[in-house]
Amino acid sequence: MKTFEYMQPENIESASKFLTKNKDSIAFAGGTDLLGLMKDDIFSPKQLVNLKKIGDLNFIKYNENEGLRIGALTKLSEIENHNIVKEKYNVLYQSIYELATPQLKNIGTLGGNICQRPRCFYFRGDYDCIRKGGDTCFAITGHNKYHCIVGGDPCYIVHPSDTAVALVALNAKFKIFDGKNEKTIPAEEFFILPNVDETKENILNSGELLTEIIIPPINNNTVSSYIKVKERGAWDFALVSIAGVFNKNDNKITDGKIVFGGVAPSPWQDKKINDNLVSFNLTQENIKKLSSLAFEKTDVLEMNEYKVTLAKNLIIKLLLETFNI
Amino acid sequence: MAIKKSKHFFEDELIETIGEVSEEIYEQLPNNKDLNYIGKKISRYDGYEKVSGKAKYTFDIKLPNMAYAKILRSDLPNAKIKSIDISIAKNLKGVLEILTYQNIDDIDFYGENGKLLDQHVKHEGDEVACIVAESEKIAETASKLIQVQYEKLGFSTSIEQSTRDNSVKIYDWGNIRNGKPDEYERGNVEEGFLQSDFIVEDTFTTEVVIHHPTEVHCSVVNWEGDKLIIYDSTQGIFEIKKSVSEYLKISEDKVQVIKKYMGGGFGSKLEAGKYTVLAAILSKKINRPVRLAVDRKEMSLATGNRPDSIQHLKVGVKKDGTLMAMTHEAKAAVGAYPTGGGCSWPFKQIYLCPNVKTIDFSVITNTGKARPFRAPGHVQGTFGLDSIIDDAAYKIGMDPLEFRLKNYAEKDQVWGAEYTSKLLREAYKEGAEKINWERRNKVPGSGNGFKKRGIGMATQIWWGGGGPPAHANIEIKNDGSVIVYSGTQDIGTGTYTIISQVAAEILEIPIQKIEVILGDTDKTPYGPSSGGSTTAPSISPAVRDAAEKMKRKLISASAAILNVDEKELFYSLGSVSDKSKTNKLSITEIAANLKGQKLFTEGSREENLKGYVAQTFGAQFAEVEVDTLTGFVKVLKIVAAHDIGRTLNRQTLENQFHGGIIQGLGMALMEERIMDSDFGKMLNTNLHDYKIPTMLDIPEIEVIIVSEADVKANNMGVKGIGEPAIIPTPGAISNAVYNAIGVRVKSLPITPNKILKALNS
Repeated sequence: MKTFEYMQPENIESASKFLTKNKDSIAFAGGTDLLGLMKDDIFSPKQLVNLKKIGDLNFIKYNENEGLRIGALTKLSEIENHNIVKEKYNVLYQSIYELATPQLKNIGTLGGNICQRPRCFYFRGDYDCIRKGGDTCFAITGHNKYHCIVGGDPCYIVHPSDTAVALVALNAKFKIFDGKNEKTIPAEEFFILPNVDETKENILNSGELLTEIIIPPINNNTVSSYIKVKERGAWDFALVSIAGVFNKNDNKITDGKIVFGGVAPSPWQDKKINDNLVSFNLTQENIKKLSSLAFEKTDVLEMNEYKVTLAKNLIIKLLLETFNI
Repeated sequence: MAIKKSKHFFEDELIETIGEVSEEIYEQLPNNKDLNYIGKKISRYDGYEKVSGKAKYTFDIKLPNMAYAKILRSDLPNAKIKSIDISIAKNLKGVLEILTYQNIDDIDFYGENGKLLDQHVKHEGDEVACIVAESEKIAETASKLIQVQYEKLGFSTSIEQSTRDNSVKIYDWGNIRNGKPDEYERGNVEEGFLQSDFIVEDTFTTEVVIHHPTEVHCSVVNWEGDKLIIYDSTQGIFEIKKSVSEYLKISEDKVQVIKKYMGGGFGSKLEAGKYTVLAAILSKKINRPVRLAVDRKEMSLATGNRPDSIQHLKVGVKKDGTLMAMTHEAKAAVGAYPTGGGCSWPFKQIYLCPNVKTIDFSVITNTGKARPFRAPGHVQGTFGLDSIIDDAAYKIGMDPLEFRLKNYAEKDQVWGAEYTSKLLREAYKEGAEKINWERRNKVPGSGNGFKKRGIGMATQIWWGGGGPPAHANIEIKNDGSVIVYSGTQDIGTGTYTIISQVAAEILEIPIQKIEVILGDTDKTPYGPSSGGSTTAPSISPAVRDAAEKMKRKLISASAAILNVDEKELFYSLGSVSDKSKTNKLSITEIAANLKGQKLFTEGSREENLKGYVAQTFGAQFAEVEVDTLTGFVKVLKIVAAHDIGRTLNRQTLENQFHGGIIQGLGMALMEERIMDSDFGKMLNTNLHDYKIPTMLDIPEIEVIIVSEADVKANNMGVKGIGEPAIIPTPGAISNAVYNAIGVRVKSLPITPNKILKALNS
């Protein structure tokens, strides 16, 4: 790690202004991802801008009409232990339950989890890869078991966040502040693919900060769930994960949304699958048929074809387990 | 006492030693139930120091005016240094000295295959320079300022690359250690296969796994005049003493090695590392103490690993289940410096078979050198062997356990020696009962639902009888307190604790009265390296010898004090008395009478019994649940049933078994060194990407010991347990997976992608 200056702005305006002005500065929330990147000399910012002094970004508010609002600096463990989250937003609860160890959740924030950088070996190693401004994605001919099967070209990372997958499934909205103005956008528009910009995973420009996550209210017929497949029990990123939010009526899904993690450089939706969830009859046969429709077009690499099978299987597992079939 | 030449197994090597042995013959102790300390769950001798943070590990040692060293390592897999410029680094404030191949003495390392600092670096992580500075941070910063120009050379980082026709020759003599494989043959395998009704043949592979002990490799060194004092995180203080004196060409008497506490080694700390020697040279140059600790990335690259394996196995069997012939041909990538990577010992030894042939190639690659890793060869070898044995059993429609019993070897098959004891049958029986073997799928994969359960087992064989030379001395101080000295070391396994138990048991005094001093080559008598599961069976008999002799000495002292004949006195519960008990002296009273003289006895390990081989045996049974939709394997339960002679401490024994089984589970399901073949570099050099088991991966573990005491093994009836614990775990888990899903995953680790692929095929 190289030496850096440590800035402690007291309000979001000055944080944002500082970050806009100083191109070599970087925002620091929980730091569970950033400090690792700095220790490995992947990033060597001149200034680290601590956001934690900004008091009003740490909250969980719930209102039946407006839904759930979570400040970006809220610790993951606080969200995980929140009664409303557990009761009504199971998919979010499970995504946090699965995402890391208690130690990491006690310091990591929701905003940080959404904005974390990819886990790709080449991005995090001593390789001048395309995401760091080089011109090659070394995963294409290298070790690519953990890389994406869709949306990759020209950089085959997967988006590492579990909560991002759950939040897209919940139709969450993200509030972004640029130093002067605030805008609110749908979560799914926050994330970008490498063909838009291969050096970043979301639309944020320098100085822009994710401040709040707004999750719409949920009605009594809504059920939701998150399944994450890892190579070990804890402290592991998803091989593939799946989030589902469904409105149901008897044995029927009236409508719903399924989002995948671990398959693409952003949380990934398969339009065909979600279209088919309208008035979906929950029979074993239908579920299998639905699964077979997924991932028609993929761009698999040498070692990651299993993810296609896994993602398809997860549709089956998600529906069987969510609806106890 | 006498000096004898003797032989015993250390790791997988039959070593010959010369040393003093005890010629005393002692009656075997009663069974554990009739003993006070031995076999009981006794808390660790050093438990308080460890949990309270008071225990000083090598990593924690700070000496006055100490400087810090760091190693600059190659980031290329194979290269010659064209030029190396240290001028900028040297000028950094706080930098004291920098060593490179240009300014260091010509010291051979790895036999004659390398230098302490070599112009030719042969793997990523190979040592290029060593910097000493006022702080570790400065040394690290300086290492990045050293300008190295390399001539890049072609490289090979895998067995396949090193054994192709057009592969890069890493040494002039080629890429196979000794230029040929290690071979073994008994009987005639061709005839054996002809006599077989069925032949089963397959290839099994395992990946390179890294030791990753909790405490990193480190040394703190200091010269006091011409004497070198080394605090080292090592499994063998006397080994370090000997080899460092050889590297530095100084007298062994001028080297003292100290190690009090250690956070594990698993075999990676049996040999002296370059870091220790470099620290000693730097310390001499700057005339200050020097500390050199490696980091987790260096642990991944340059402090050893378990070689991978590609094992081609073939088994011929008669319809009734009789094994007729077995062949094993294996290759292992042992890294850039020659060392053995064979894995055929279980194949030669476990199952009764007249015709056996094994061929082991140790293949040189441009990767970190392999080192012994908890049962070297046996873990990967048992996975292959017990997989093909399982296949053979299913092929002839026989219960896999019955098949193993059908081919039970009563005697050692390699030398024809008798076993001191072999209770494998009992281990099979009790293990099978506990796991409820009958619940297994009679037809593999026949369970219903997406989540399928299965039960599998594998057999364990290992040495672990120990042998001489191993010494322990006992001293009784003037206040009557008892100290045991031994030059072995506690690497985290509980050696302090078992030594205090043996001394307390034999001297019949409260265990709190025993002090144990280990791990100091100047203060303690010679003890062997902690490896090969030999520590307890080598040292505990020496402790007993010293304690029995101390009892006699106490009687002799009492006779002199009381003016009576020794024959009228006897020793009981820490006192000497005559039959009427009118004359009675406690240890404290005897000591007080000696006016400043201390009572001292020397104990030694006796010779091993001729014509016998002491081996450990066992069987592990695993129950798993495989999610066929995700490919995730959850291990539900492991039952470990073993013959390990006498249990010394039930608590530390269980700890050792848990550790071994968890490490075996890691190798079975998740651990692997991931290499990039384009760059020849390791990709997962931290403990997040190199996946070891977490709490959520650890199953219920039940440990059953079927042995009371192996009376022919040594005067304590003890055999080692460190390595037996891990040996059958991957094989048992893999067989359980097969039993669950009905398709065999032939390559470790059994990760979800491999399960999904197997189910799709």
